[in-house]
Amino acid sequence: MKTIHLFIGFIVLTLVQIFVPVQMIWEQEDVLTSGEMYKFKTRPVDPTDPFRGKYITLQYEMNSFTNAGLPYVQGDEILVYIEKDVDGFAKAVRVSKTPLDIDTDYVIAKVTSNYKEVVNFELPFNRFYMEETKAYDAEKAYRQTNRNNLEDNVYAVVHIKEGRSVLKEVIIDGVPIQEYVEK
Amino acid sequence: MGSKFNKELKTLVVDKVISPELADKIEQYYATKDIGKSNKLFMIFGIFGALLVGAGIILMLAHNWDDFSKTIKTILAFVPLLIGQLFTGFSILKEKSRTWKEASGTFLFFSVGACIALISQVYNIPGELGSYLLSWIVLCLPLVYLLRSNAVTLLIVLLSTYYAVEVGLWNYRSTKTPWLYIVFFIAILPHYWILLKNNVTSNTISIFNWILPASIAIALSAFIGNTGNLAFVMYITLFGLLYSIGRLAIFKELRTLRNGYLIIGSLGTVVSLMIFTFRWIWDEFPHKFGYQFEELYIVIGLLLMTITVLGYLFLKKGWRSINLFQIAWIIFLFVYFLLPGVKVLPVVLMNLLVLTLGVSAIKIGADKFNFGILNYGLLIISVLIVCRFFDTGMSFVVRGILFVLVGTGFFATNYIMLKRQQKFKKQIKDLQV
Repeated sequence: MKTIHLFIGFIVLTLVQIFVPVQMIWEQEDVLTSGEMYKFKTRPVDPTDPFRGKYITLQYEMNSFTNAGLPYVQGDEILVYIEKDVDGFAKAVRVSKTPLDIDTDYVIAKVTSNYKEVVNFELPFNRFYMEETKAYDAEKAYRQTNRNNLEDNVYAVVHIKEGRSVLKEVIIDGVPIQEYVEK
Repeated sequence: MGSKFNKELKTLVVDKVISPELADKIEQYYATKDIGKSNKLFMIFGIFGALLVGAGIILMLAHNWDDFSKTIKTILAFVPLLIGQLFTGFSILKEKSRTWKEASGTFLFFSVGACIALISQVYNIPGELGSYLLSWIVLCLPLVYLLRSNAVTLLIVLLSTYYAVEVGLWNYRSTKTPWLYIVFFIAILPHYWILLKNNVTSNTISIFNWILPASIAIALSAFIGNTGNLAFVMYITLFGLLYSIGRLAIFKELRTLRNGYLIIGSLGTVVSLMIFTFRWIWDEFPHKFGYQFEELYIVIGLLLMTITVLGYLFLKKGWRSINLFQIAWIIFLFVYFLLPGVKVLPVVLMNLLVLTLGVSAIKIGADKFNFGILNYGLLIISVLIVCRFFDTGMSFVVRGILFVLVGTGFFATNYIMLKRQQKFKKQIKDLQV
């Protein structure tokens, strides 16, 4: 192959290599700026990822729905329609396998189990990346608040738009978790 | 050129073994030959440098500097990527040396990984590790052909293997099968084929000859279904396939140690069959075969490929060239599928099969005057005997006698072969005189 052809091929590849991350940023920013903000009550634990660094896994209080209807299989993707309660926390109002023609925000969750009428699911935004020294402290901080019966004060701030969701912050006791662990 | 070599040359001249002119010629020959060699060394250092710097960048970014704003982090994500692209583009456009291409390609490979990692970090993009690896591989795969880079090819193979195992094995919540591993593997094969055609004895090829079969053997574990009933069938067939590939004419010039297909295939066959010489594994045998379709596809695929390669060898060289290691899997499959209900027979047959494999390895070793293969055969038989000590009620005296016999066998066979070799060498010497 001629050098120029290789080079043209390479330029195309560089554009794709740049386009993919830019597209990732664009999608997230779009949801952050024009998506609706919800709060989800949560519980952090501390694993690690070899390439992307430390994160805390968030286990959400909202992880099941009763009277779901249809049988669901583990691994299925379902749409969980949500609304805000009086305190601004998200609560599931309906679940469905296919999009419904209603004007309510939804998140795409993964079914973890289905027993009789109760379907358990996992919300997608369950990773929150943190500075490596802080991730474990974050888990400890949560246990502390739990002991003081403040668990209602731990929640994730998530922006949602057309099924896409971006996890913006995790709040403990009114402050972002990064600042909370520094205290 | 090493001073030791020059000294040797001088001694040869002084002792009048070679003329001074010839010594000069030899010195010159090696001096020019060394030019390529230092280049090679430079290339290896270049690749390692790029590898370490690239991996270092990923680690530094993984620290997650939360004092930096989102904008700074985003810029940081793109800086290494653009630098990598610049260098790689430069080395393609200016047709720079292989060193340039390998090193810049390696660096670009890591900077792509770092870039998408940092962006996932900034926006807490969910995605499991598997999906991250997937985008990384896809974004770098074309570099294999644009740069003809061996380093990038190796990295792609390693990352694909990691991807397969992560998706299919380690991630307990994932129900997916990493079919894309097969796609990635096939995608790099043309590059490997070109390398093979050019220079089969190069060191690069030897590395690939080990990495590729090892990668398949590891990744295959990701395709085993929940029940795992077909796992041994898959593996034993795969080892049969690898062994047969290792016996293809193209690898004939290679020394055995450089032929990973042959060694992995042979060791894998023996170890897996050795497991089936125990009674308990047949006792624990499932009464019904439950399998998933993905497993079945893989088994059928492997069977077709193995039969094709075996058939090809058969047509090219005739049945005499085919040894027991190449067909052990067929015997195993017959016993496994046809005789599971029968109590003792399968165990006896498997023991006989492994014993015969050991004997045939001894024969191959003796025919080729290869002490390595000869002792490998003896080792197979010894391990088989040691294994039998665990599940038979033989008396200590009998076991002791067996051990002494095997030990004597080791001495005797090696001694006989050594004698034969010396005799053979003497004959050749006599003929030359």
